[in-house]
Amino acid sequence: MSTTAGCGSLQSSATEVGGERMTDDRPVRDGGTLTVALNADPDKLDPTLAQTLVGRTVFAGMCEKLYDVDAQGKVVPQLATALPKVSADGRTVTFDVRRDAEFSDGTKLDAAAVVTSLLRHRDLAGSARATELAPLKAVEATGTYGVKLTLKQPYVPLTAVLADRSGMVMSPTALKKYGKDFTNHPSCVGPFRFVERVGGDRIVLAKDTHYYDADTVHLDKVVYNPIPDGSVRLANLRSGDIQVGDQMVPVDVKSALTDSKLQLFNSPSLGYQGIGINVGNVKGLGQAPGRVDTPLARDARVREAFELSIDRDLINKVVFQGMYEPACGPVSPESALAPGVRASRCPKRDVARAKRLLKDAGVKTPVHIELKTSTTPEWSRIGQVVQAMAKDAGFAVTLRPTEYATMLEETDDGHYEAFNSGWSGRLDPDGNIASFLRTKGAMNAYGLSDAKIDALIERGRAEADPAERAKIYAELTRRANEARALIYLYRQKNYVVAGKDVAGVRVYGDGLIRVKDAGYAK
Amino acid sequence: MASYVLTRVRQSVVTLFLVSIVVFAGIRALPGDPALALAGEERSPEALAAIRSEYGLDDNIVVQYGRFIGHALQGDLGTSSRTGLPVSDAIAQALPVTLELAALSLLLAVVLGIGAGVVAAVRRGRPAEWIANALALLGLSVPTFWLGIVLVLAFAIAVPVFAASGFVPFGTDPLDNLRRMVLPSIVLGSGLAAVVMRQTRAAMLDSLSADYVRTARAKGLSRREVIGGHALRNSLVTVVTVLGLQLGHLISGAVVTEQIFVLPGFGKLTIDAVFTRDYATLQGVVLCTSFAYIFINLLVDVAYSVIDPRIRLGGAR
Repeated sequence: MSTTAGCGSLQSSATEVGGERMTDDRPVRDGGTLTVALNADPDKLDPTLAQTLVGRTVFAGMCEKLYDVDAQGKVVPQLATALPKVSADGRTVTFDVRRDAEFSDGTKLDAAAVVTSLLRHRDLAGSARATELAPLKAVEATGTYGVKLTLKQPYVPLTAVLADRSGMVMSPTALKKYGKDFTNHPSCVGPFRFVERVGGDRIVLAKDTHYYDADTVHLDKVVYNPIPDGSVRLANLRSGDIQVGDQMVPVDVKSALTDSKLQLFNSPSLGYQGIGINVGNVKGLGQAPGRVDTPLARDARVREAFELSIDRDLINKVVFQGMYEPACGPVSPESALAPGVRASRCPKRDVARAKRLLKDAGVKTPVHIELKTSTTPEWSRIGQVVQAMAKDAGFAVTLRPTEYATMLEETDDGHYEAFNSGWSGRLDPDGNIASFLRTKGAMNAYGLSDAKIDALIERGRAEADPAERAKIYAELTRRANEARALIYLYRQKNYVVAGKDVAGVRVYGDGLIRVKDAGYAK
Repeated sequence: MASYVLTRVRQSVVTLFLVSIVVFAGIRALPGDPALALAGEERSPEALAAIRSEYGLDDNIVVQYGRFIGHALQGDLGTSSRTGLPVSDAIAQALPVTLELAALSLLLAVVLGIGAGVVAAVRRGRPAEWIANALALLGLSVPTFWLGIVLVLAFAIAVPVFAASGFVPFGTDPLDNLRRMVLPSIVLGSGLAAVVMRQTRAAMLDSLSADYVRTARAKGLSRREVIGGHALRNSLVTVVTVLGLQLGHLISGAVVTEQIFVLPGFGKLTIDAVFTRDYATLQGVVLCTSFAYIFINLLVDVAYSVIDPRIRLGGAR
């Protein structure tokens, strides 16, 4: 992942920021409390059950994983001592874990703890990790610190999966003691340990003396406050009540740049946002696709015309002040494993061609489309811009703002024509494609069913050679773009605003704020 | 008096029971599957089934209600499906915040509203009345969110006297508690102060022109005794009624204020629960709020009879 991609618009005397900026390496002093504002209250603090991105940010402070992501977006060992060894047939994976690590409850990390955690992630009822660990056939300790995984089939994304919540190792003692209530007493290996949680108000972590690298941890405490409103987050940053603001939107970032007491961190994201189209979801998620009788669903040429009517650069400029990136594929161009399509190579708006395509398709214009959008200010504006642009090509777009949970229900059930579909992104390209585009995939709300795409997804999972994998995902991207069940529009960037007195905060491409090295500047 | 209170308590219990049914059914009538809201991005069919089973969402609504009311009667309001924390804990943590906010706002509204109302009535037609009326109009018209942001910009950022957000219990650090609660109390109390001011002014104008006040003056009582002891005392019945009715609005109005100032009170808890379809928390919060409304109404009715012993409602004579 690039760390120096240009983004001159961020240049400012207040922040002296240009391009991507993931950390501030000024020396810091020991002590102090850092308050981080999140844009939502995290869900359960149990790595097996947790679902939210903000929850991942809190875990980044207290639960280390077998593997981690570095600034370049590469997988690096964290609790494991080295990258895993994979057998020639791809079905056996082995690795060792650190010998000097202790959980926050003082018990030792060993291979048995890894086995307990991985099996819990895979088997616990309601586990949000079950799908990504489904290929795991068996897990066993080969010694005190050696772990052997047996897979049902070759599964290359596994290492990236273990660099997320599935790779978090929990204290078996705490699991046994608290059972389902582990969420209120989480115990992992990490620079900080869980102290308390007041729902809707704060999660408090304190420096963990059991941590193997405790000498390099500077802060005494980290407090996470959920502050959903961006302008309130910004006001608190300005007043100094909080020191770090997570997931700031462009309009607030622009405002923050005028404040000499604040600084900006940013990294490209691995996710995407776009417009999903119902091409075959008639019976609901996971059911066999059927015929949807709308012009958009019936004819790929109508979908192509719709895409060609949209100007991605203009959306980025008008709605996001040019601070996000246009996108036209499921995989980020910054992905270290299989770089996706660059923003500059996305199809340009071509109204004349769009009109020709509609004529060739023989549809009556204007083509009516109902677009469900989130009730956020951003999607309200995107909807209006899309509506205006599509009108030029012969579409009449009706916007239907829909609240989040209702939208999930309606789109999963197939009760929609088009909706705003987004994903926070995963390190391995498979995590951004398989569940969405595979026939009956867990999140294929579009009802797409394409045998070639399905076959490519399977090949991508089994192919060990990185160069060959990159080719497979390039081909997958091409086919996904031809099917146009999902028209990718833009890729967010991770914007984090912090007080200038804070250094060492790290913001990588996975969107998490890492506070292990953070502190107040000397 | 005792039998009157008892009757009102009985009525309140029945009301609360009916409210519990309406709340329970109403929440389930909301569109949006709670299992989906909970599973969010990573919603596999297996995970959804496990969530539904864990929280009893796959049972029929009568069974769910029976379970809910059975547990509620034993003081167990369930577990938040989102955070895994007991709902009663979440309510116990949120309640003092909202109560303190409501109490401070009420204090502000009573002191400012009654004070300004009395002045406006006594100084009728003079600049003092115009100023009081203008301030009341401002208090009623300014949107809560706007006033909150302006106060934060002025008194937490430009002149950092108060904090922009957060809550510290009074027992932990009284000064820090007040530093954080003053701005939200002003925001929440300003509208109520305006209402109280207008009501006090109107009631006082009525009283001041009444015969008993004229008699009091004729008897040679001091101005202070006439205004405070006679006119204001009689005007307070109307003001207390308004305060009682507005107290409910104070609690519901706290939703916005708590969002602006990031106060972990009832309002914030409710909003979070709605968006995540956290049935257990939502039910608990709405039931407690309903209980508060019913209890306040009961207190107001009792307060009537204390302020004016001639008033007896509900056949208690």
